[in-house]
This record gives sequence, C-alpha cells and structure tokens, in this order.
Amino acid sequence: MNGWLARFPVRAAIGLVVPALLILWWHWRTSAQIATFAPPAAVGRALAELLHSGDLLRDTLSTLKRAFVGLAIGAPLGVAAGVAMGIWRPVDRTLGPLLHALRQVPMIGWLPLMGLWFGVGEGTEVIVIGMSAFFPSMLNSHAGVAQVERRYLDVGSILRFNTAQRIRFILLPAAMPLVLTGITQALAFSWIATIGTELLTGAGSGLGVAMSQAQVQQRLDVMLVVIAVTAALGFLINQIFRRLRQSLLRWQPSVQ
Amino acid sequence: MATRAFDYQILAQTGRTFRLERLPLSSFVAPLALLALWQLACLTGLFPPQVLVPPSGVAKALADMTASGELQRHVGDSLQRLLIGFVIGALAGMAFGATIALSQLAEAAFSPTFLTLWQVPVIAFVPMMVMFLGIDEPFKVAVVAIASFFPMALATFDGIRGVPRNWFEVAKIYRLRLFQLIRRILLPATVPAILTGLRISLTRAWVVLVAAELLAADSGIGQMMEMGRQLFQIDVVLAGVIVSGLIGFLLDRGARWIESRASRWRTA
Repeated sequence: MNGWLARFPVRAAIGLVVPALLILWWHWRTSAQIATFAPPAAVGRALAELLHSGDLLRDTLSTLKRAFVGLAIGAPLGVAAGVAMGIWRPVDRTLGPLLHALRQVPMIGWLPLMGLWFGVGEGTEVIVIGMSAFFPSMLNSHAGVAQVERRYLDVGSILRFNTAQRIRFILLPAAMPLVLTGITQALAFSWIATIGTELLTGAGSGLGVAMSQAQVQQRLDVMLVVIAVTAALGFLINQIFRRLRQSLLRWQPSVQ
Repeated sequence: MATRAFDYQILAQTGRTFRLERLPLSSFVAPLALLALWQLACLTGLFPPQVLVPPSGVAKALADMTASGELQRHVGDSLQRLLIGFVIGALAGMAFGATIALSQLAEAAFSPTFLTLWQVPVIAFVPMMVMFLGIDEPFKVAVVAIASFFPMALATFDGIRGVPRNWFEVAKIYRLRLFQLIRRILLPATVPAILTGLRISLTRAWVVLVAAELLAADSGIGQMMEMGRQLFQIDVVLAGVIVSGLIGFLLDRGARWIESRASRWRTA
C-alpha cells in the first residue's frame, strides 16, 4: 500500500512540511509581538555573527576538550574496573555494591558535592563528566567479561594460559563488542554531562556556558544556534564512533 | 524511522539490574567497612567537618530535616513535578508514537522533525525553556514532560511496528474497527515495549528533573543540594545525594517490578 509514499522525493517533501509550517508560525508570531521571540531570519544572522567573532568555535572547542578529557579519564577506569570485577569475584564482591550504590545518584546530582570539595571550576566539571563516562563503561565491560563462553575458557585452561594470557587472548577479544558498546554509551553520556555541567557552573567558555549566557541576555537566536551545534556535534561524534566500532569488530560474524 | 539515534538504545541497554535478593551477605561487608572507615576518618580528625561529615552526621541531618518537615517538602515537591510532567509527557509520547506507527503519512510528515529534535540532549532545552516559562512550576513540569516524551514515543513506535503483520490481517478478517483493533490487538501486544518505555522515561525524567532543580528552583531535592552547597552545609548536600540516589533506585525497581508482573502472561 501507499507505494508513492515509499519514493524518496515524496517522503522528503512531506517531511519538510512540518518544519516549514513551524517556521511560518514562528515568523508570524514574531511579527505579532513578544520581544524574546527572535524571528527565524535572526538565527541566520546570529550564526554568521558567532562564526565571525570566533565565539562559536572557541565554545565548541572547549566543550569538546572537556568532554574528551572526562571521557579519557572515566572510560578506561570504567573498563578496567568492569573487567577486574568480571574476572575476580572478590573484587566484584567488594567494589560491586559500592559502585552500584553510587550509580543510582543522577550524575549531575554530584555537582554540588564536588563543587564543595574541589571548588566550582574545571576540575569539578571533569570529575562529573568522568563519572558519567565511568559507569556505562564499567557495566558493559563487566557484562562482557562475565558472559564469555565457558568453552573458550576451557580451551585456555587446556593450553595452560596464565592470567595475563587469559585476559589478553580470551576475555578481552570475547568481551570486546560489549566493551565498545560501553564506550559508545560513555561517549553519549559524557557529552550530555558536559553540556549539563557547563550550564550549571557557567564558568569559562563552552557551549553550555554560551546557552546560559544567551538565556540571561534573552537572545533566542544565539540560543538556537548553540542548541543546533550541540545536537549536530552529538550526532556526529556518535556516528564516527559507530563506524569505528564496526571496523574494529569486523572480524565478528554477528556485527556487520 | 530507519536510523535510530543513540540514547534510546543506551537507556534500554544500561538497564542491567542489581538484585538485592541475590546478594550474599558478604557483599554488605565492604560497604559497611567503608562506612566504618569514613566514620573513623572523621572522628580522628583526618578530615575536618567542613570537608567531610561522618555518616552519623549525615544521618543526623536527615533526621533533623525529617523532623522539621523540610525533607518531606523537598521530596514531595520533586515527586509531584515528576508525576505531573511524566503523565503529560508519557501520554503525549504514547499518542505520538502510536500515530506515526499506524499511519505512514504521519510518519513521513513527523519523523524527520522528531528525529532531529531527538538529537538534542534534553538538558540543552533547559535554558531556552527558562526563557519562555520562567523558573516556576510550569518550567520544571515541562522539562520532565519533554524528557519523558521522547523515549515513550520511540518505545510505542517500536512496540507497534513489532506487532506481526498477520495479526493485523486477522483484525481485517474480523473487520475490527480502529477502537477494537487498539483494544484487542495493539494494547496487549505492545504492553511489554510500552512498559519498558515507561521505565526509561521515568528514570530519565528523574535525572533531568534533579538537574533542572539544581539550576533553578525554590524547592525540591536538587534545590536542597544547591542551597547546601552555597551555605557550605556538606551534611545537607550528602543527604541530598543519598536521597536522590534512593529515589532513582526505587523508581527503577518499581517500574521493573511492574514490567515483570505485566509480562508474566507471555511465558505462561
């Protein structure tokens, strides 16, 4: 049914109807009244202005840097903790309950406490971002190692592997898909946490800081530009890592 | 809706449970030892009370705030916002998801806009919403509603699209009307997917609400923590961390419980 709907140009055209109507409505609303409601054309001007002044580039770069520093700290620690918990039961018994308890707190909820301990600034932000990267990496790595097939381990014990060999040749390759899934999640979580912490601490530069400044200055046009950049970057980072994950796992029959 | 962006999958996957009943007694040793160590470190003066309050201090803060009714007020306000926003967002999400799943025209018209908006972290909408709605109640309810809307819409969409084609054919043979189709076939078939969506929406809405309260509120658990930080009351901040973690945990567990009860008929 609906054969004509399956054709791409038709679909694309229909898909554009809603955004077009929204923009029209928006344009009409702004010409009516309300100061904070910037007209659609103003968004284009704001984009040009932000690009020209270099503010957008600076904010984007510092947000990216923050997100990746947090990720670079949190994700490896998470993978290490998850693998250790998956291999050694005592580690799981001692660390597990504590980590699962800490995990229940909304990550942004740590911000006030970390702010008290480390001051409101870069360090606190990176800690909270690192924590939000840590937990998904830990959970997935743990599951990945715990789910390794028994017979692989049996082969290892026949070959008299020592612990290091067992980890290197059996556990890590077998757990790799889930470890990478964990890192993909960590990527998304740390991106969201970066925007959130920047919004809340509002110091220095960054996309979140730009958003809260735009809010104070009632600049809807600037705000929309920053939101669009945030969304586009998040999407892009995720796509890039997805490709990377697929090419890293191309030896796995189940993943194309 | 061929391409799925990342966060729905993420939230669906991170849902590995931590089962209390499966825990051997020895699992409590480590956390208890840590609590004892924490208490000891504070008593010996290793950490001054401005930096770290002992567990007993946190317990006292919790008791004091409960006695004065302050804690109940904050928790109650937060939960009320969560409930109202969640009901609005989840119902809207369900209706939207069902519409784009049942009508190809609606899917073609709305899904590009929906998928684009979905790329934006909900927290990035917060400053814009403050601009339009101010920092009062409508703002917080709206944040929760938006956070619940997206996962709910996707779960409903996936649930309905997952219903086998021939079930629809059966409905056609029996000449079921739309209402009957929804009641007899779609609802029972999509209950598991929808309940998973509800759980994801609920836990995510809680996280976003705490963040929104940290940013701008006059009450609520997030505001309690933020005030504690500004007044250097580390015991209040720690109490807030514990309470918000506990509420998040209970919401997740409660939703999981409902999920497992409601899908019991599938295995039976």
